[in-house]
Amino acid sequence: MKGEISFQSVKTLFKLDLRSRFGTTRRRGIKYRLLQAANILFFLGVYAILLAAMYFLAKIFVEKSGLRLEFLVIVSMATIVIATAVSTSTVIKNLYQNGDNELLLRFPVSGKEILLSKSIYCFLHNLIVCVLMMFPLYVMFGVVTHAPYYDYFAYFAVTLVASLLPFAIANIIAVPVMKLMNAVKNQFVLVLIFTIILLCAAFAAYLLSLERVLVYMRDSNQNIFSGGMIERYRAFASGAYPFRWYAELINGRRYGELTSGGLALRFLYIALMTAAFSVAAYFITEKQYYRTILYGIETQKATVSRKSKDVMRPQWVALLNREFYLILRSFNYSFQYLAMACAAPVMVFFCNRLAAALGTASIGQQIMPGLTLMVIIIFITITVSFASTCISREGMCFYHTKVIPVSYTKQVAVKFAMYAVVATISVALCCVVSGAYYTSEAGGHLLTAVDMVAIFFIAEMIVVGLTSLCILVDVKSPTFNVSGDGELVSANKNVAIALIVGIFIAVVYGIVAMVFNFIPIVIGNTLFSINTIYIILSLVSLAFMGGCLAGLFVKLEKHYAHIVP
Amino acid sequence: MLKVKNLKKIYPKSDRVAVDDISFELRPGEIFGFLGQNGAGKSTTIKCLTGILPFDSGTIEVCGYDIVKEPIKAKMNMGYVPDNHSVYEKLTGREYVNYVADLYKVPADLRRERLQKYCKLFRLEFAIDKQIKSYSHGMKQKICIIAALIHEPKLWVLDEPMMGLDPQSTAEIIAHMREHCAKGNTVFFSSHNLDLVKKLCHRVAIVNEGHLIDLFDLAGNEENKANLEERFFRITGTYDARLFEDYVAQESADMRPDLPVEEARSEESAENSAPESEETAEEKPFELEEAPESAEEKPEQPKSARKSRLSERAEEIGKPTEKE
Repeated sequence: MKGEISFQSVKTLFKLDLRSRFGTTRRRGIKYRLLQAANILFFLGVYAILLAAMYFLAKIFVEKSGLRLEFLVIVSMATIVIATAVSTSTVIKNLYQNGDNELLLRFPVSGKEILLSKSIYCFLHNLIVCVLMMFPLYVMFGVVTHAPYYDYFAYFAVTLVASLLPFAIANIIAVPVMKLMNAVKNQFVLVLIFTIILLCAAFAAYLLSLERVLVYMRDSNQNIFSGGMIERYRAFASGAYPFRWYAELINGRRYGELTSGGLALRFLYIALMTAAFSVAAYFITEKQYYRTILYGIETQKATVSRKSKDVMRPQWVALLNREFYLILRSFNYSFQYLAMACAAPVMVFFCNRLAAALGTASIGQQIMPGLTLMVIIIFITITVSFASTCISREGMCFYHTKVIPVSYTKQVAVKFAMYAVVATISVALCCVVSGAYYTSEAGGHLLTAVDMVAIFFIAEMIVVGLTSLCILVDVKSPTFNVSGDGELVSANKNVAIALIVGIFIAVVYGIVAMVFNFIPIVIGNTLFSINTIYIILSLVSLAFMGGCLAGLFVKLEKHYAHIVP
Repeated sequence: MLKVKNLKKIYPKSDRVAVDDISFELRPGEIFGFLGQNGAGKSTTIKCLTGILPFDSGTIEVCGYDIVKEPIKAKMNMGYVPDNHSVYEKLTGREYVNYVADLYKVPADLRRERLQKYCKLFRLEFAIDKQIKSYSHGMKQKICIIAALIHEPKLWVLDEPMMGLDPQSTAEIIAHMREHCAKGNTVFFSSHNLDLVKKLCHRVAIVNEGHLIDLFDLAGNEENKANLEERFFRITGTYDARLFEDYVAQESADMRPDLPVEEARSEESAENSAPESEETAEEKPFELEEAPESAEEKPEQPKSARKSRLSERAEEIGKPTEKE
């Protein structure tokens, strides 16, 4: 790829890119500003929690277990691996898959200029990710080890140097990764299974780690690593190159483990390795970029081929089939719905396990039924909230639902059946998994069979009610804001409504069940034990379900007819 | 076949009456053209009669069934091709057609036979088992047409069906419209193509600002055929003697303006000098950027041709500069 580089063009392209991502500097209304401020506050809140977690992690490794260098090796490796994955995704999306490639090809700019402007964005993105992830971990190390102030400058310098490696590797592996993704893209079931396994594994790992941290926080005298584990960490860190070099640079000469020469040698190794990867990345990207984007433009619509049979099916089966395939064949939708529904039992189990480990010891085992009910309803709400875009997701094809000779009630009933059935299976699995464990000896008999049956029926009524409510809000106010691929651009306000209602129910039910099971109350001649609470909650749920079903199906034909695409 | 009586439609949050007191009736076996400028109310009328839009007053009957009171029976007799060719792109062509056939309760053997026939007719055999999102604009239009015809509807409604189609596909659709009507069915379509309407339709209606202004026979009435353009221009309030003469002249004569004398000469010499010079060949890729075609106007072209144009452009951008 040849061509003179005009930095003016690069600057213009870069500015254009930023503007298309973050919008113009035009003044916006107060509502927009408030929303933006809320988003920033939310981000800062989550980041503060992460920083606290980093601090406790540093304390566990460095202070309690004496794994100083091992901690640095592990965090350097983890952050570089995560940053490489993020950077690869950014490079693929921005350099090779961005829809503006075809547009930019029409401008009087050279390929090098396009590549350079996009690479600047990717590099800055990678730098920010690295600084936000890696630097705080090093700082927490410094805080825990009481490092002198000048060491923090060294930490920042190492972070900057370390940020080059993920970017270089990302540029090298972007094209093969993209090809691999394209190859498996249409293996919908395979991708779904893989996603479910990944989701469950990540969630389980997260909650198990959280459990350990929380246990540590509760009882800070207790060391959470056994002697064997400490030895394994040491053995791993001793051979974990090149991450050990970064760790040694951070660790410095403070503990007398390295001489100045040794430190300089580590720096040289890192410099040479980074330079080698960067040069390779430069040549590979320069050689591949133009060829790949042309190929991408030409084959971006390459899709699945499938020879289906021309058989006649009942109308409802055809509708159900179509609804299912449209979800399965979209990675976003199948992740949001099918993967969440399948992973919910695992998530419920681990959440219960965490709560049981902490809550039952400090409060008492009476909280378990309420806690289980609350956790199940929360996860089911997340799954079912997907139904609140079922009309909006029709997008440009909404007209089709109006011209086909099938009543609107039947069409909506099929959608309702699909979401409710999947959620019902999910609830049943949640109850079976939690019930099997917590009614057994291993689970400490924290739940009884009566608890599980009652929880299932209450949760099931909430599923039916919430599904109806989700569809109802979408029938009343659909937003056909779909992208070129026919997918909703973003979750609409209906999803937020569904989530708020579902989580509110979960919290209220959970608290009521926990409190009344913990402190049985006698009002008049009635003892408000957990069984009475189950009956009351069942009645309330029945009323909720009936109200939502009536709200959806009564006058549905009229409401649906008035939806204008 | 189709009876529209005093149809009135006002869009919510709008003062303007989109369709006002429109009445007409379609007979079996006829092709009916529905003309009007953009925003005249053609698509709104079509959306009302297909059940997409609710309307404020009036009645619509399809094969004797009221679209409001008996919508399922009315829709069962109708096939609709939208103007935007929107289909479920994640399905394959065959899955989509089978889905529609299931909804219209078409028996398996009949649908197989029809699907085979239409795939051959519209030359979609090679793509029918591929996801629709890989289809070109014209192919999507064709799959919409196949899906609309899979149940052999008595009333076939098309909203600007020829828009963006290549001449071959247009000819195929016209031929099929005629064939469909020959079986006693009715075709109702909106169009901006006066010449096509003149040649194809038995009757035509012209709407303007939501009102049906004129409805007349074209079949067997040479005077109406000859006056169609003038009537259209006068009704829509766009009649201008010079423009009208230009339009009529366009229909019958070559409208290419004369080139300046010098350019004409150089063009002549270029035409005489074969093969094409390198300079001319190099300039070709720029045609793409200087006059980008809109998505709707872009004709279908083979992928290889498109790739080669992009490759030319790629080479052009990557071309060594004078300094190098």
